[in-house]
Amino acid sequence: MNLMQTPVSDTTALKPRITASGVQVYYDTNHALKDVSVNILDRTTTAFIGPSGCGKSTFLRCLNRMNDTVASARVEGKILLDGQDIYDKRVDPVQLRARIGMVFQKPNPFPKSIYDNVAYGPRIHGLARNKAELDEIVETSLRRAALWNEVKDRLSAPGTGLSGGQQQRLCIARAVATGPEVLLMDEPCSALDPIATAQVEALIDELREQYSVVIVTHSMQQAARVSQKTAFFHLGNLVEYGDTQQIFTNPQDPRTESYITGRIG
Amino acid sequence: MTEISQQAEPPVKSLFESDLRTRRRNAAETRFRLYGMAAVAMGIFALIFLLVSVLGNGVSSFRQTSIELQVTLDEAVLDKTGSRDPEVMKKVTTIGYGKILDQALADTLAAHDIDVSALTPKQLSGMKSDEAPRRLRDLVLADPSLVGQTITFHALATSRIDGFEKGRVTMESAKLDSNISVEQLEVAQAMKDKGLLSMPFNWGFFTSADASELRPEAAGVGVAMLGSLYMMLIVLVLSLPIGVAASIYLEELAPQNRWTDIIEVNIANLAAVPAIVYGILALALFINFLGLPQSAPMVGGLVLTLMTLPTIIIATRAALKAVPPSIRDAALGVGASRMQTIFHHVLPLAMPGILTGTILGLARALGESAPLLLIGMVAFVKDYPSAPPAGLMEPASALPVQVYQWTQRADPAFVERASGAIIVLLVFLVAMNATAILLRRRFERRW
Repeated sequence: MNLMQTPVSDTTALKPRITASGVQVYYDTNHALKDVSVNILDRTTTAFIGPSGCGKSTFLRCLNRMNDTVASARVEGKILLDGQDIYDKRVDPVQLRARIGMVFQKPNPFPKSIYDNVAYGPRIHGLARNKAELDEIVETSLRRAALWNEVKDRLSAPGTGLSGGQQQRLCIARAVATGPEVLLMDEPCSALDPIATAQVEALIDELREQYSVVIVTHSMQQAARVSQKTAFFHLGNLVEYGDTQQIFTNPQDPRTESYITGRIG
Repeated sequence: MTEISQQAEPPVKSLFESDLRTRRRNAAETRFRLYGMAAVAMGIFALIFLLVSVLGNGVSSFRQTSIELQVTLDEAVLDKTGSRDPEVMKKVTTIGYGKILDQALADTLAAHDIDVSALTPKQLSGMKSDEAPRRLRDLVLADPSLVGQTITFHALATSRIDGFEKGRVTMESAKLDSNISVEQLEVAQAMKDKGLLSMPFNWGFFTSADASELRPEAAGVGVAMLGSLYMMLIVLVLSLPIGVAASIYLEELAPQNRWTDIIEVNIANLAAVPAIVYGILALALFINFLGLPQSAPMVGGLVLTLMTLPTIIIATRAALKAVPPSIRDAALGVGASRMQTIFHHVLPLAMPGILTGTILGLARALGESAPLLLIGMVAFVKDYPSAPPAGLMEPASALPVQVYQWTQRADPAFVERASGAIIVLLVFLVAMNATAILLRRRFERRW
């Protein structure tokens, strides 16, 4: 793996989409995330890397308030989406999650048809006025997830009958269907084989054209391949955040260097 | 070096001989296998014993001996006015019909050259059931045009003759029995030889109400089945929604704190409370405090609902827990609300488990008798309750209670009836359990 292949792109001109400042997360008394401040840029893939238990998934789940479902979790600090605090009392997490889509570690399609999997989000959010519009959303989403050609003849087949990589792309199509602005991906390739991984990575690169993509990954190679910005977490701290190329070639913090060279983690 | 290599030289082990330790472990496994087989064999033996004894005693209750008689329905007795108006004809009681049947019996026997000189008129009349005149009267009142005709009527035989046909009553036992005499049995034998006695399928067992001590041949489980059905409807209508709602709240919505822990533990405890305690609760609450009528399916249904709820709640919570959290994440992740997540995704996936639990709970409720005894359902109920909802407040019986009641009676003919009722109950239970299994198979989904 040649780390020098990191896609070079100028991110300085892009606006921040999500601004997190001083985010602290506690699970009961366990201080899981310590004072994290970071800007997630528009139309950029941001990778969160770090050893297991470093808080990268926790932080990801703060961004669309999925931590609300964990009774013991407590979040402090400010996370702004386009300047609005997502932890404000007036924010309905249901609306927020339609704008910040999420793809999970394990492919988790609903045990329904492929069509219904993708159509579910638009249906509950009332995004389509009629069947034709819904059909169009489903097709567009599946195309965007590079799955359309494989499933167009069997949209009524169960989504759980697809292969692992197809299931994960179906989950991406499902997340894309609600028209989110940010797409969060929690180790989306960890259950996939190399070929499926390559497909999903190619997809992430395409999605970046329209969305801000945040990906948590254990694979540094993957981070290097798909992301423009990388954040390194260690023991609940955001150790270093910067351009992916810089993180992998010229890390500023000794811990980052230890991790990417394989000495810790 | 040489010393070390000499010490380290391992003894040569053969793969074909097992060492002591392996032999012991294998022996332990064999023993455990035998224990298991013995346990299963005991269970199977108990089941076979139960089935053989119940079927052996009870199958005969599905056939009932009757006497084929040529009955002349005399207008002078049954309809003096000649109006053929059922309202007028109701004045003739079963006594009048009894006399007609007695006459028909005597005529029929004479026509077949059967000698009845050894019998007193009372003994001759006692060959037929006391129920027979009532059935003849019902037949005639339903169709008054029969009056004046001679019809072929299958009169129920008395339970002793029925027992004689089924082998329960013998000449020896008749000598000790005040209800039947050897002479009567000899006449019955002669009637059988002439083909006057027959044993058709006993529809009456499924349609009749309970009958008094003196006529076991007329007793049936009709009212008990209807009462049980009413109660099951009440249990289903009440316990399924309440139980599922409670489970969803506890499993999906309630905060995990000390209160929900206490509730959880107590639901598990409630499932283990003896049924008779629920009976006392129902007596105090529904009958004494709320003033609902005794013996009513409504009260029985309510107490069985209380009893079934913990079972349903526990089964439903287990089914909800078994739905993988990734499905909830997926739904929440696309912006579904909690209610949408539950009703669109979690509940449909949990449905087979919930239905299975519900049916098993219902089956337990169907077979429960103890709480019903305490709310007066053990009463002798002769009339069918009317259709719901009014019928829910009228006295009815229940299958398990009917079994209990019949086993209390002195006449051995009721043992047969009780076993027959047990068979009916078992058929319902097996059918419900089979439904549960089918539902689980049908709706089971993989994810």
